[in-house]
Amino acid sequence: MRCGDFKESYIKDEEIFQSFFVKFWLALFFIFLILIPFVADAYILYIANLIGFAIIGAVGLNILTGFTGQISLGHAAFVGVGGYTAAILMTRLNFSFWLALPCAGLVAALAGLVIGIPSLRVKGLYLCMTTLAAQFIFEFIFIHWEFMTRGIRGINVPSPVLGNFPLDTEKRFYFLTLVMVVVAVGFARNLVRSRVGRAFVAIRDRDLAAEIMGISLFRYKLTAFAISSFYAGIAGTLWVSFMRIVTPDHFPFHLSIQYLAMVIVGGLGSVLGSIFGALFMVLTPELLNTLSSALSEMIPGVGQLFIPMKEVVFGALIVLFLIFEPRGLAEIWRRIKAFFLLWPFSY
Amino acid sequence: MRKSLILILVIAIGMISLVGFECFAEDVVKVGAVQPITGRFAFAGVQINAGLEDALMMANEEGGINGKKIEYIMEDGTYSVDKAVAAFKRIMARDNPVIMYGESTGMGKAVAPEIKDRYKVLYSSTSFSSELANVAENPYVFVPGPTYSDMFGILLKYIAKEKPGANVAFFYSDTEFGRDPVPYGREMCKKLGLNLVAEEVAKVGGVDVASQVLDLKRKKTEYVIFQGFVLSPVSTVIKQARDYGLKVKFMGTHWGTHKMLLDKMGPLAEGYLGVMPYAFYYQDDIPMIKKIRAWNKKHHPKVEYRPTSYMQGFLTGLVFVECLKRADKAGDLTGDGLVKALQSIKDFDVGGLMAPITVVDNKIPMGRVYKANVSKKIFEPITGWIRTD
Repeated sequence: MRCGDFKESYIKDEEIFQSFFVKFWLALFFIFLILIPFVADAYILYIANLIGFAIIGAVGLNILTGFTGQISLGHAAFVGVGGYTAAILMTRLNFSFWLALPCAGLVAALAGLVIGIPSLRVKGLYLCMTTLAAQFIFEFIFIHWEFMTRGIRGINVPSPVLGNFPLDTEKRFYFLTLVMVVVAVGFARNLVRSRVGRAFVAIRDRDLAAEIMGISLFRYKLTAFAISSFYAGIAGTLWVSFMRIVTPDHFPFHLSIQYLAMVIVGGLGSVLGSIFGALFMVLTPELLNTLSSALSEMIPGVGQLFIPMKEVVFGALIVLFLIFEPRGLAEIWRRIKAFFLLWPFSY
Repeated sequence: MRKSLILILVIAIGMISLVGFECFAEDVVKVGAVQPITGRFAFAGVQINAGLEDALMMANEEGGINGKKIEYIMEDGTYSVDKAVAAFKRIMARDNPVIMYGESTGMGKAVAPEIKDRYKVLYSSTSFSSELANVAENPYVFVPGPTYSDMFGILLKYIAKEKPGANVAFFYSDTEFGRDPVPYGREMCKKLGLNLVAEEVAKVGGVDVASQVLDLKRKKTEYVIFQGFVLSPVSTVIKQARDYGLKVKFMGTHWGTHKMLLDKMGPLAEGYLGVMPYAFYYQDDIPMIKKIRAWNKKHHPKVEYRPTSYMQGFLTGLVFVECLKRADKAGDLTGDGLVKALQSIKDFDVGGLMAPITVVDNKIPMGRVYKANVSKKIFEPITGWIRTD
């Protein structure tokens, strides 16, 4: 805790921006985010956009898994539901992107509600299995409901248009992604300190006790599923509008695992953690890729060896992080911050 | 306020130096590639990469592109769409090559609109998808052989010649790769007067195919064409068909005509036919194969065999080099210039790796039917080059 930083009420304690310095650094960070597109190339902006979509998806999953304690292995399916809904609405019914976006979120939320129903009866590993089933059911639908989804051939999606301004390059899309990420993260951060958020945490910590306290499990568990899927739907819509195509290949099972990994590596039950997790899961493979390419260029002839190694390194990194900091990157960040707050006179 | 301004400046300068500056060397021609070096398709990706690289390096050794050296830039796409597109964009942003090579149909579809509107590079890939090979929609996409549809056409033409009005069935996987040529195949059957009696669908790597095999028996099928599988369940289907006493001729397209399959099937492969646009590594009477063997002996002494995926990469490389030479001569070493050069290729000799190449609609629609020789475990050609245009 910073010296002289006393809190006199619980409201103060729950404030998002706890001090002037937080606001200052955050403002600086936003200026930096806004400046990026003017200096970065297409590749960096492409990755920045992917990180944005991953953050939205991961924050959504963290609400469900991290805050409410309901493990979901079907998150990619909801991302897919959102993506497909938006694509179909935009191409068949000529919806504009701005209308299709909330619609896709709502349809994904509806799908989440339905898939969430078993959570009222089953918990833990059993819930894992039912959400896993959702993943496979939706994947099957994406491939086989050809009339709607065009099967494996996929649907070509138009770029969003703002006024007369098509968001058709990485740079233009970046601003949309940035705004959506800010809204999504802001909403989640506020949600978790509201009555609903506290109910989620109570359910996670002990559902029986929560019910005895008067929290309706039915209502809050399904709310968590719906909100989480809504986030997934938004992430999906952004993603397919950015890629300008949607095929079932985009939403495989391992994407669900990846989202879960983001949430766990980043820190369960922490909005900031989801952001770190998304950053880590998207950036690390890219960095390793660049590194392994550079290495194999420097030392010719061993490229075949280095390139597959990056998967191993990536896996090892995740394991190491979990061993040394089970509470995720968010906790590491907190410790670093604490160190500098008290530096050089720690207790 | 001033402090934060300075900070912003520092950060901005940092970003710029991160992005880096490119040094342009005049005497280098860049060819980029995103290859599936890891992931599900790695077994072929490694070979395709080796083939493409060898063809380009061979050209370098022979004097390059009118004196300019080719630089080959490869990144791993891991056979997943977003990673592959990321690698594509990274190469485009960093190296700005004039030719790009991609790893899958999915990636091709994802980058095709941008290649057309923005990047304008000559693009080829591991995919023989008919949908990508559409000149009107994707003018920059080149398919280094016949599309899967063309391969179906070649096989169906062969059947129609051998036994007019025969009962044919398609046996395909439930993937994009499997379904790609099926609509065209149906049309061709009608056109050639063949009787399409069944369409069976199975999972890649599936083992339970009894119901499909029984269906083939019930419908008195005489010819079955596989599409969308590499190994399983082709051998299982053939084994069960033989067990049930079916007298069926089995056939496969490009990915179903390779030595690995014969090695796995053993005597079951008797009578198996396949269509292949390229020559095989063991056909050592062909001049280009001789050259490839000599190159491999010198540069990859441990290699004993190169599969057809290597040949695919190699042929793509040969066509790239020819396009680069022609475009360079015309003084238009850009994507548009390369496409023009590509379309001007006519009766181009590739040393027997294929018959002399004529590019039609940005593809090379020809192939040859091969028959399995069980005792030698190789495929032997039984027809000349069949064209579909």
